[in-house]
Amino acid sequence: MENTDDDSWHPLVEGDESRHDPMDRAAARDQRRFLTIALIGLAVLIALPFVVGDYYVSLFSEILIFGILVSGVNLLLGYTGLVSLGHASFMGLGAYVTAIAASLLGYPVWLSMLASILISLLIAYGVGLLSVRTKGVQFLLITLAFGQMFHAIAEKTRFTGGDDGMTNIPRIDLGFIGLDADQDRVFYFFVLVCFVVAMLILRRVVESPFGRVLVGIRENEKRMLAMGYTTFPYKALAFGISGMLAGLAGSLWVQHGFFVNPHIMTWELSGEALLMVIIGGSQSFFGPVLGAAFYVLAKDLLSEITEAYLMFFGLIFVLVVAFFQGGLAGFASRFAERFLNRKSDGGEDKP
Amino acid sequence: MTFFLFNLLNGLQLSMLIFLMAIGLTVIFGLMDILNLAHGAFYMAGAYFGYVVFQATGSFWIALAIAPLLPLVLGFLLQYFVLQPLIDRGRSAHLDMALLTFGLLFFTIGLIDLVFFETLGLTFMSIDKPAGLGSYVNIGTFYPSYRLFIIAVGLLVALIVWLLLERTVVGAVVRAGVDDREMVRAMGVNVYVVFASVFALGCGLAGLAGVIAGAELSINITMGVQILIPTLVVVVLGGLGSVKGCFFGSLIVGMTETLSQAYVPALALFATYLILAAMLVFRPQGFFGRTPKSV
Repeated sequence: MENTDDDSWHPLVEGDESRHDPMDRAAARDQRRFLTIALIGLAVLIALPFVVGDYYVSLFSEILIFGILVSGVNLLLGYTGLVSLGHASFMGLGAYVTAIAASLLGYPVWLSMLASILISLLIAYGVGLLSVRTKGVQFLLITLAFGQMFHAIAEKTRFTGGDDGMTNIPRIDLGFIGLDADQDRVFYFFVLVCFVVAMLILRRVVESPFGRVLVGIRENEKRMLAMGYTTFPYKALAFGISGMLAGLAGSLWVQHGFFVNPHIMTWELSGEALLMVIIGGSQSFFGPVLGAAFYVLAKDLLSEITEAYLMFFGLIFVLVVAFFQGGLAGFASRFAERFLNRKSDGGEDKP
Repeated sequence: MTFFLFNLLNGLQLSMLIFLMAIGLTVIFGLMDILNLAHGAFYMAGAYFGYVVFQATGSFWIALAIAPLLPLVLGFLLQYFVLQPLIDRGRSAHLDMALLTFGLLFFTIGLIDLVFFETLGLTFMSIDKPAGLGSYVNIGTFYPSYRLFIIAVGLLVALIVWLLLERTVVGAVVRAGVDDREMVRAMGVNVYVVFASVFALGCGLAGLAGVIAGAELSINITMGVQILIPTLVVVVLGGLGSVKGCFFGSLIVGMTETLSQAYVPALALFATYLILAAMLVFRPQGFFGRTPKSV
């Protein structure tokens, strides 16, 4: 979906003549900020398994897996302005493809993972072609309907164990570099690699002209149409990419827990993914990952006290939607900005 | 033939239960643009409060009369003091309110879980059917009389809502509001009170459905979500905001679910969603909806 040459005059796309305008300085600042956060975050994530216990390593694998899922969801929610309530089904699709290929058909796990990614991309793109014709509430409902349909298929399919699902799914074989992924620490690093690759791809997508078109659609779809964009294929592809990331997350999820059942395709999980995105902050690139971390850790903490953790998440969700639209990330960046501005004697380039 | 009649009545019964939910949802959406995903929470509030009242008084009828008042009042407070002020402060009625009420649904499920399961140790509860409606009647086949009661309540509510909307001044204001909100405001109607009252009535009906369902199905924490999904399907099928569409949509969904279950079980889980997906692809505005308003 590269832009053609007639886009050079386009205000939304970086062209030669816009090199010195303030938009570009903002972009450069944004890039610096991205790199800072990414490198600090990566350092923390690499150091982590050496300082925390086994249990938390496994919990952090979970966070990274959900991080991939919700970053994909945010490509739709935060960047394109589409609220999907069916992404758990693509996660489930990825999980089932890996489980079927690796466990029933006996293909190597890496090949199964590739199959998961490809199939979820294709099917999500197909669902996208049908559902992005609608928007707003109708879009939310049609994604829910497709999600429920996939869930029903998973429940009804006999050879995948129906409602009981499948167990003893193998993890990826890292024997060729002398590692054993059945150890949770090794598997954590494998998940981390997948996570980093996924985030780099996603970053590339949102920074590309394609990503700018998505933002344009979120801000004002009519204007994009008036400028001659056919927005429909852009939205469908965004849906496909976001489904693909969900599929990757599913493929890792099934290896993480060694089993899969239709429960991961329920709309509750799609809803929880929305919770993570909104709590973390849908307007920022890493916000959803922050939301996933908050969600998994808080759920772990709360579930020791009460099973009714949904109550707290529901409440936090309501408060975030009502009062803090930036979520955790918005909170953090406001805090950081105030801190930095005080240090550098006032903000020189406030918008 | 009797098997068919039996299933037909079952379908009608389910349709009416869904209709009680969907009517509030669709009018609220038509009037205020709010997709109230917390509607399932109000249904649960009705069922659980109905259970409490029933335990206290031992009477189904008192529970039926009192329990819907809780969701009614909560609905009014929610719309008047939370949703409307947020919309006035620039939140999108469309998406932000759908998300917010979605969070509210999660909150309610958690709260009910905490109170009824963790504190009181109750999981599956039910309200006893009233005397006289607990047995079967012979109508060619033996059919549970309580289900006939559900059908009757559904039809009665449909009639009342129709009369209220078509034959009263308040109904005229609401219909006008669905067509053109700004105009109604310009004509000096206090729309906020109208909005909150309609919202409250919708929630009250959801609560009524909850109490009625509490005597036929079991009362548990998944009940809200279970009924919400077919309700949403109905609202989309009928066209968001359309009362007539809501009634026929309920019949389609209730019948499809019941009859597919009885005759083609393999299809049962998807039949409804297939219809919905086809509808959204080919006629996104629903059977009776007009072309969607620009958002």
